[in-house]
Amino acid sequence: MPTTPTYAFSRDAGNNRLILLLLSIGFAAVVAAVVAVVVVQKQAERDAYWVEHTLDVEAALNRFVRHAERTETARRGIIIAPTETNFVAIAEKAIADASRELAGLETLVRDNPSQVRSVEGLRLAFDGYARQARTTEAEAKLGILKVGSLDSDATVSAIRHIRTYADEMLRREDALLRQRNQAQDRTRSLLSAMLALCGALIVGVATAAILIIRRNIREIDANRRELHVLNQELESLVDERTAELQRANAEIQRFAYIVSHDLRSPLVNVMGFTSELDAARKVIGEHVLKDGDDVPQTVRLAVEEDLPESIGFIRSSTQKMDRLINAILRLSREGRRTLAPTRVSLADVVQSIVDSLQHRIDETGTRVELGELAVIETDRLAIEQILSNLIENALKYLHPGRPGEIRIASKVAHGRVNITVRDNGRGISPRDHERIFDLFRRSGMQDQPGEGIGLAHVRALAYRLGGLVEVSSEEGQGSTFTVSLPLKFQSGVADA
Amino acid sequence: MPDQLAVNIVMVEDDEGHARLIEKNIRRAGISNAIHHFTDGTSALDYLWNDPHGPAHNGPALVLLDLNLPDMSGLDILSKIKGDAHLRRTPVVVLTTTDDKVEIQRCYDMGCNVYITKPVNYENFAEAIRQLGLFLSVIQVPDAEGAP
Repeated sequence: MPTTPTYAFSRDAGNNRLILLLLSIGFAAVVAAVVAVVVVQKQAERDAYWVEHTLDVEAALNRFVRHAERTETARRGIIIAPTETNFVAIAEKAIADASRELAGLETLVRDNPSQVRSVEGLRLAFDGYARQARTTEAEAKLGILKVGSLDSDATVSAIRHIRTYADEMLRREDALLRQRNQAQDRTRSLLSAMLALCGALIVGVATAAILIIRRNIREIDANRRELHVLNQELESLVDERTAELQRANAEIQRFAYIVSHDLRSPLVNVMGFTSELDAARKVIGEHVLKDGDDVPQTVRLAVEEDLPESIGFIRSSTQKMDRLINAILRLSREGRRTLAPTRVSLADVVQSIVDSLQHRIDETGTRVELGELAVIETDRLAIEQILSNLIENALKYLHPGRPGEIRIASKVAHGRVNITVRDNGRGISPRDHERIFDLFRRSGMQDQPGEGIGLAHVRALAYRLGGLVEVSSEEGQGSTFTVSLPLKFQSGVADA
Repeated sequence: MPDQLAVNIVMVEDDEGHARLIEKNIRRAGISNAIHHFTDGTSALDYLWNDPHGPAHNGPALVLLDLNLPDMSGLDILSKIKGDAHLRRTPVVVLTTTDDKVEIQRCYDMGCNVYITKPVNYENFAEAIRQLGLFLSVIQVPDAEGAP
């Protein structure tokens, strides 16, 4: 007997839990990686913003320096040609532009305290310079402009201051730009790394999932195959057992047949010579009685009473034995008969049995009622014998002083038919419910002729038809015999 | 009826009691032919074929055959008789306890002339044998050699 696969299933359950856990961890890692990528991406965006910001600051600073230089150029123009008024306009516009750029710069560098200070310095320097430029304009207007050395001009140093501040700021911003570019590069490579990691994780988890699924499918396949093999083994086991049962049954049938035959032979002698003995006794008896009173009383008694009595007992016992042997023979012969399944209308079968018993039914005043009766596929002779035995019994064991009522019906359910023969007869004591199906066993008052064969026969037949017979009964109330048969014929016990 | 008197009855029956009862009842039917009784197959076959007074060498005979014998089946004897050129016309009455249909059919297939089941009830048994006796008194048995 191969081991059952139960343990394999429980091992799988543990494995599956582990696999589920690992897969969950894998998916969690993928989610975490995606979140990390998003975070790094945001960081990269921030870095890009800051790089742009630095570039903006530099651009603004350059624009401011250009406007400042332009102001100086315009002022010099005024100095050279005090009467040319459009230099003044140029100077004013440049001053306004520079101031605007400075204000813009101020807002741009608000985050950086050192640059704020530098911008502050720039403003002071430019404001000073702008004042001098305006003074130059005013003097030119009034014609009191006196031109000294440009080198010693105070504005030159102011411009120089502005340049220095601006250069310093640019330097700082350049440093920042380098820093920020580096940060941006770092973040970018981090992002690539994260993306690669994320991709690797996804590929890994997917591969693992596929591998696990493939393995599970293989295991399921293997289990299915194993199950199939087990099923086949089970089927062959059942076949084997059935064959064994069939052999055992055939053996019993043969045994019963041989025994009953061999028992018959001596019985013929016992009965034959008993008859011969009786014939001899009659001869002696006639001779003895002819002699009249000379015969002693004991001899007369022996011949007239003892001998006939003994012979009578031998005869009745042998006859009983003969009936029993015949019953066994009949059962064994019935067991050897080949069943021929045909479509049988139970209603027809029951009706013909009732017709054959009509005389006895009328005699006892019994009412026989036929309920719904199905059409089934079975051996006609066997079902006839089963039902006629049951109906005859119902008619035989009536309750004294109560008119009999017998009801025969059938009910179909789950591919089987349950045929019930119900009576209101004398009933069967509960302790006899099993016994009555045994050969030569009878129940209750032995006031009816019979050998105790009918129900044994019924049960043997029911088994052969792939069915069962059961009784439910209450003493004094009646009995119900139920025969359960398959709707479609299937041999129960093999033909011997 | 001098023809009938010449017929030997060969009884092959292993049960002494049965043999005695059969003989008694045949005699009661008024049959006085010689009855040769054998309780086993071997000696019966020996008599049938080899005995100078046996049917193979001397005159007509009728065989009463039981099927259940200690050393062989009565069917073996039946097939030997029916397969022999000299003896195949010898009537064989199978007289046995078996009343199995298949067995009866087989006996007739093998050439048995009459098949009788021994009734267990003695009155019926005696009656059957007596009737067999009456039957024997009218039956024409051919010579083994095929002579008239």
